[in-house]
Amino acid sequence: MNIIETNQLSRRYGRTEALRGLSLAVPTGSVFALLGANGAGKTTAIKVLMNLLPPSAGDARVLGVDSCRLGPAQRAQIGYVSENQKQPLWMTVRQLLDYCRPFYPTWDPALENRLLRQFELPVDRKLGNLSRGMLMKAALLSSLAYRPRLLVLDEPFSGLDPLARDDFVRGVLETSELGDWTVFVSSHDIEEVERLADNIGLLEEGRLRFSETTDALLGRFRRVDVTLTGGAAQLAAPPSGWLEWEQTGGRIRFVDTRYEQAAAERAWRERFPEAAVTAQPMTLREIFVTLARETRNQPKGAAA
Amino acid sequence: MLPFSIELKPGLPIAEQVIFAVKKAVVAGQLQPGQPFPSVRIVSQELQINPNTAHKIVASLVAQGVLITTPAVGSVVAERAAGDRAERAGLLGRDLEHLVVEAKKLGLTLEEVQGGLATHWRKLGRK
Repeated sequence: MNIIETNQLSRRYGRTEALRGLSLAVPTGSVFALLGANGAGKTTAIKVLMNLLPPSAGDARVLGVDSCRLGPAQRAQIGYVSENQKQPLWMTVRQLLDYCRPFYPTWDPALENRLLRQFELPVDRKLGNLSRGMLMKAALLSSLAYRPRLLVLDEPFSGLDPLARDDFVRGVLETSELGDWTVFVSSHDIEEVERLADNIGLLEEGRLRFSETTDALLGRFRRVDVTLTGGAAQLAAPPSGWLEWEQTGGRIRFVDTRYEQAAAERAWRERFPEAAVTAQPMTLREIFVTLARETRNQPKGAAA
Repeated sequence: MLPFSIELKPGLPIAEQVIFAVKKAVVAGQLQPGQPFPSVRIVSQELQINPNTAHKIVASLVAQGVLITTPAVGSVVAERAAGDRAERAGLLGRDLEHLVVEAKKLGLTLEEVQGGLATHWRKLGRK
């Protein structure tokens, strides 16, 4: 079951196409990271999903409901925290919580108090006088206390110091439930989410480059290092799934983007009959740098 | 704080790394039989990892007999969790493979590697 599904979702601002036919599925129970550079369309996608913006074309379903029809019944089960969300800055933290509480039948006062202590939030201070980290924690608290089934976080970590980030993640994990608990988080920085995400989608210029599980992604990328024992040789051009091909004398390095042990070893034996070959797993960060470099070097529209 | 030492390295599957660290901690006596093991939520919060991964880790440790779950109490370290000699030796498999790969890259012979190993073994002063 997918808690979020989009079908050819598009959104333009005047002549600018922020989203171009985005088709995305977020499985229920996953922690899904939507990654992409600034301006890739992440915030637009989330705003459409949250019914803060209508799509120009295509449609989206959230909790099984058309995103354009998202109402109080659904909102009571969704937590939404965004870096550029408008907050009632004249309210104190306590006033914010008092204001939010009645909207949510599932509000859990014990959890509210636990998070207040954990976040060390000054309850009598106005939101306008909070640091960025404190403000984000207050926003998170007001979105976690009713134990939402779906937590949507738009660039939650940007501008947070490491301690505030740690508090924030702990708070999110405090409400985790196996099965019916989904987090959809956007970020421009893979390192912020790499341990948390079990599904990753990469957005580039409003299009989905790929969407797959973290395990599948880590599994199919290898940094391959070849030492030709027969000395330097003239080699044919590499197949399309091999990126960053470099050769210096008897040493060759490249990134295999479709690694699968048996098939890969066969391909290497064919191509490098006399060679020592090693294949190292890559970190998500290395994978994303490789993909970003490839995008920059390639004509538009090509994919890995 | 978690009752076992671990430093997560990027690029390797998290579950494998944690399971390995727990088994090492049991063999090293850092985790004692009967000692309570942290809940899925605590493991996920302390390591800041996906709760599904934390669940998989605990389930796998239970399936492998390292932990036992008791209703209402949670998981504890099993009595015979440390395993037999073969299982203990198996814990070194990955490090050994890594050593062999590096040695081969350098063009060393098995004898040279064994010699180097013996020297380090004696340095640490145990039989």
